[in-house]
This record gives sequence, structure tokens and C-alpha cells, in this order.
Amino acid sequence: MNAMSFAWRSLVRQPARASLGVLGVAAVGALLFDMLLLSQGLVISMRSLLERTGFDLRVTATDALPGQGPLIANAVERAQAISRLPSVRSAIALRFADAVLLGGGPRGLSTTFQGVAGTAPVYPWTILRGRDIAPGLPEIVINENTATRMRLAPGSRVMLRASCTDEEQALPPEPFTVSGIAQFPFDSPVGTTIATSLPMLAKACGGNESNEADVIMVASQEGAGAAAAVADVAKLLPDLHVLSNAEAVNRFERGGFTYFRQISTVLTAVTLSFAVLLITVLLTVSVNQRLGELAALRALGFSRWRAAADVFCESALIVGAGGLLSLPAGALLAVALDHILKRIPGIPADVHFFVFQSSALRIHLLLLSATAIVAALYPIRIVATLPIAATLRDEVVG
Amino acid sequence: MAVPSNGQIIEAHSISRIFPMPAGPVTAVADVTLQIAARDHIAIRGPSGCGKSTLLHMLGCVEPPTAGTLLFRGDDVTKLSDRQRSLLRLRQIGFVFQRFFLLPMLTAAENIELPQSEANVPKAERRQRTQELLEYVGLAARAAHRPSELSGGEMQRVAIARALANKPGLLLADEPTGELDRATGEQIASLLDRVNADGTALVIVTHDPALAERSTRVLSMRDGRIESESASA
Repeated sequence: MNAMSFAWRSLVRQPARASLGVLGVAAVGALLFDMLLLSQGLVISMRSLLERTGFDLRVTATDALPGQGPLIANAVERAQAISRLPSVRSAIALRFADAVLLGGGPRGLSTTFQGVAGTAPVYPWTILRGRDIAPGLPEIVINENTATRMRLAPGSRVMLRASCTDEEQALPPEPFTVSGIAQFPFDSPVGTTIATSLPMLAKACGGNESNEADVIMVASQEGAGAAAAVADVAKLLPDLHVLSNAEAVNRFERGGFTYFRQISTVLTAVTLSFAVLLITVLLTVSVNQRLGELAALRALGFSRWRAAADVFCESALIVGAGGLLSLPAGALLAVALDHILKRIPGIPADVHFFVFQSSALRIHLLLLSATAIVAALYPIRIVATLPIAATLRDEVVG
Repeated sequence: MAVPSNGQIIEAHSISRIFPMPAGPVTAVADVTLQIAARDHIAIRGPSGCGKSTLLHMLGCVEPPTAGTLLFRGDDVTKLSDRQRSLLRLRQIGFVFQRFFLLPMLTAAENIELPQSEANVPKAERRQRTQELLEYVGLAARAAHRPSELSGGEMQRVAIARALANKPGLLLADEPTGELDRATGEQIASLLDRVNADGTALVIVTHDPALAERSTRVLSMRDGRIESESASA
């Protein structure tokens, strides 16, 4: 009977204790798995979201996030100039404002209002029904939430009052026709977003600042790559700030996302400590209850190594079984926690806090293996240094 | 391992065992000289605490003497590593304990098979040897029973079979009838007699005069020393 079979028989001898250990490791392992998914989940999810927009560069007036800094002057001309660069496939200027759609209630519906101009073959949204906006016409595309809440459909007409600066304004409402229902990548689950052309947004904003934008979004040529496009744009427009998707993700990673990574690291350390303590206690109790048997086995010729291997195998079996259970449990827990965390206002619906990565699985296995080893150290020490004769004497006297 | 020409299994010369204690060293066994030959049947008697079990553990290479020379088949036990002593116990010495110390999660057959498995005996050979031993101790029908399903006498018979699993030349028994009633103790004593008659040297530590009288040599200990040795009938 090898050490693993022996350990298995020792564990099933105390099924309640073994089950407790396995369930404990499963719970701790599930949390550990989720913390590993969380540590990089937002970054991976945000990177994927940025890549899905079809643009890999963002040009802004300063290094502030789009919509939070000063506007880019002459944005349309600058977007056109950028689009003529050999490393660039297309560029569009994008302006963010707020708007209230009138009707459907006494106060209307507040929305995020986007205006777009440029040479992009596609806009930063996906048409779900109807068609895209036509240049020069007072048309808007709206997201599903807006359509549902205002009971709008392609062809519907709506009055819209824009709000374009931080100051109080009382702009007159403008009539728009809904050309289509669109999906906006950065929409939150309850977000209401509408979009039109930049001239139409400027008109709704009272006709001022008709050539200004918050951000110019650029798609690089496939052969050139984002780095070459960043260098070309920076050279063409040295007064503007150019950021690739990768740099944007790095900024997120160094900024707000650090919080999640720190939480993940702390909780990982805590959960691992609990796992080590749990298994160490269970194995130590188990070993202490079997000291007489262990001493007898040693007297019968079982080596120190064999006795230690038996204990280690018990640890490995508990952690292995618990670790296997922890994966589906962790996956279910991740779905539930993601659902809860996405209720934070402003989080895009397509961003996920917990994203599966094979590296997380590898680290999970590595950490659990280390847990099995560390947790077994103390009980192994008890077994390896067991005074055989004294223990046999004590067992008889006891 | 070398076998001395005089055929002795154990040669102990002035062996002692001193335990360091906070209140000062305690001498458990002092200056014992003893030879054990093949087929010897020895009983060690004496009051509690006189050092019988400690001497037995030294003879079984469980703990080395702190002074003196102990040769097992000509090899100096004090010069063997822990691993070498474990191997020696596994292959050449059998132990029977007062409290049996069978593994409760294993069947009788598995308990007997365990030391053979540790000694890397091939599976088929192990199975055959285990079956033979179960028949030898009269428990062939109880092979699949766990210790909790056996009586005290049956457990001790399984323990004896386990001790004989690797065909040791020396069997050491520490109060083998201590936990058993008189009739069952008699059965165990008969079984041990048979083991000895079949060629295994036997050393028994016992308080039971009846069990001691079955031996050919009886060593009486007091205060860690062999006070007298007598030949039994």
C-alpha cells in the first residue's frame, strides 16, 4: 500500500473531519480563485472593450480622460489631418454633452449625448435596428434603454434639450428623428445614450463651439500598428496628447484599478492563511490522535520518510479535492459577485470584474500546492521526530 | 548484513540507557550484557519501571543504547543511521504490542500485508504470505474483517501475524497478554510458543508468571539491571 492509498484510507477513516477539510479548502479556494480573476479581470475586460470599439488611439487636449478635460479646438480639421497620415486608417472627432429628451414624463429623460464627425467608415457604436445617422440631417441613434424608456423606435420624432457646458443653460429644444437603435460599448446597464453628428450636436448646443471635440479617436493602419500611429500623430499635432489602447489600459491599471488589485492581494493572502491554518489544525489533530499507531508503524520498520509522506499525501488529498471543488464554486461565486459589483454607477455593461484567464488557473493550482506543502510541515515534523519508544510507553501507560 | 559465526542474533555488552531529565539523568537500563541466539525463548520479568520495555526497545533497535555495544547479527546498531535501523526492523525484527496497534481503517489481511508492502514484497507473494499467516494464526475466515470487528484475542493474533509478515529472525513482544483475559492469553501464549518452535527467536516482556514459565530463559530485572537469569522447565 503506497503512501497515497494509505493517506486515502486514513482520511476516510474520519469522514466528517475529512469532509470538513475538503469543504473548507473548497470555500477558501473558490475565494482565492475569484481574487485571482479579480486582480486582472477589469484590466483585461477594459482592454477587450477598447479593442472592440475599432479605434486604437485616443487624442485629447490634455492627459485628462475624454470628457473631463478641455476641448480640442479645430477638431474636425485635425481629425481629417490625422486621417491622412500613412499609419492611420481613419479618425473621428467625438464630443460629449448631456441632453434631456422631452416627453415621456414631466422632467423628460436625461441622457449622455455624443456628437461625431470625421472619416470613419464606422462610428463608435453598433446599429441594432434601423439605420445610422445621415450627415447633415437632424437624426439621432439611441440605445436600447432610451428606446424602452421613451418608447421610441426608428422613425420616431423627439424634442431634445442639450446641456453642453458646466454652467446653467436654458437652450431651446431641437427636433430630432430617431434613425436607429444602437449599442454603445461604454454604456452602463441602466445608461441612456444618444448620438448624432457633431454639427447637429453643436446646433443643439446653441451653435457655439461647433468645431470642438473632447477626443479624436483614431484607427491605425493594420500594417503600421498603434505605436507608429502614436508617433505620427504626436509629430503632426505636438500640442495634443496621444494615447494608445495599451497606454490607456496601463493608466487604468496604475490608477483606479490598483484598488482592486490591492484588495485581491490582501484577500488572497488572508484566504491562503486560513487554508493553511485549517489544514494544519486538522492534520495535527489527526496525527496526535494516531501517535500510538504511528509509533508502532515506525517500530515495525516504517521509515521517517514514509511516515512523513503519508501525512503529506493526506494534505495533498484534502487540498486536491477541495481545490477541484473550488473551481466550479469559484466560477459561480464570480458570476454572482460580478453581478453585484456591476451595480456601481457608470460601469459599462460589457466590463467584467472577474474574467477567466488560464494564468489565474495556473497560479491557483500553484498556490494551493504550496498550501498543501506548508500546511503539512508542522504535522510532518511531529511524525518525523516522534520518539518511538517513549510514545509506545506513554500509550500503554495512558 | 554479516552473520557472525557464533550464530547469535543479538550480542549486548554492558548496554545502558540513560534519559536526560530536567531533574537529572535517569538510568532506565544499566550495564546489561545479553546474547540472544536463534530459537531462543526468553522472558523478561520485573516490577513496573525496572527497565524491561526500555531493554526490549534497545534489543529491537528502536532506540540505541547510550553506552555499551549492541550487535545485531554482528553489526553495531549504534553505528547505523535511523534509516538503516528502520530497514533492519522491517526485515529482521517483529514487534507485538500490548495494545495491538492495528490500523483500524485496514482489514486484518491489509494490516498483515502492510509491512510486506513497505518491504517491497511483490503483490502476488504478499497475498500468498498473508493468506498463509492468516491460516497460521487461525483467522483465515476473518481476513476481510476490520479490527473493530475482532475480539481482543483475534486482534493480537493479527498483530502477531503482522509481526511475522517479513519472516523476521527475532520477535519481540511487550506484554502480549496484558490486555487479554486468562483463557485468551493462554491461546496467545500457545501461538507464541508455536512461532518460537517454528524457528523464530522470541523475547517477551511480561508480568504474567505463567507466560514467563513457558520460556527457556527467564531474565529478572530490577532497577535497570538483570538481577538473575534462570532456565525454565
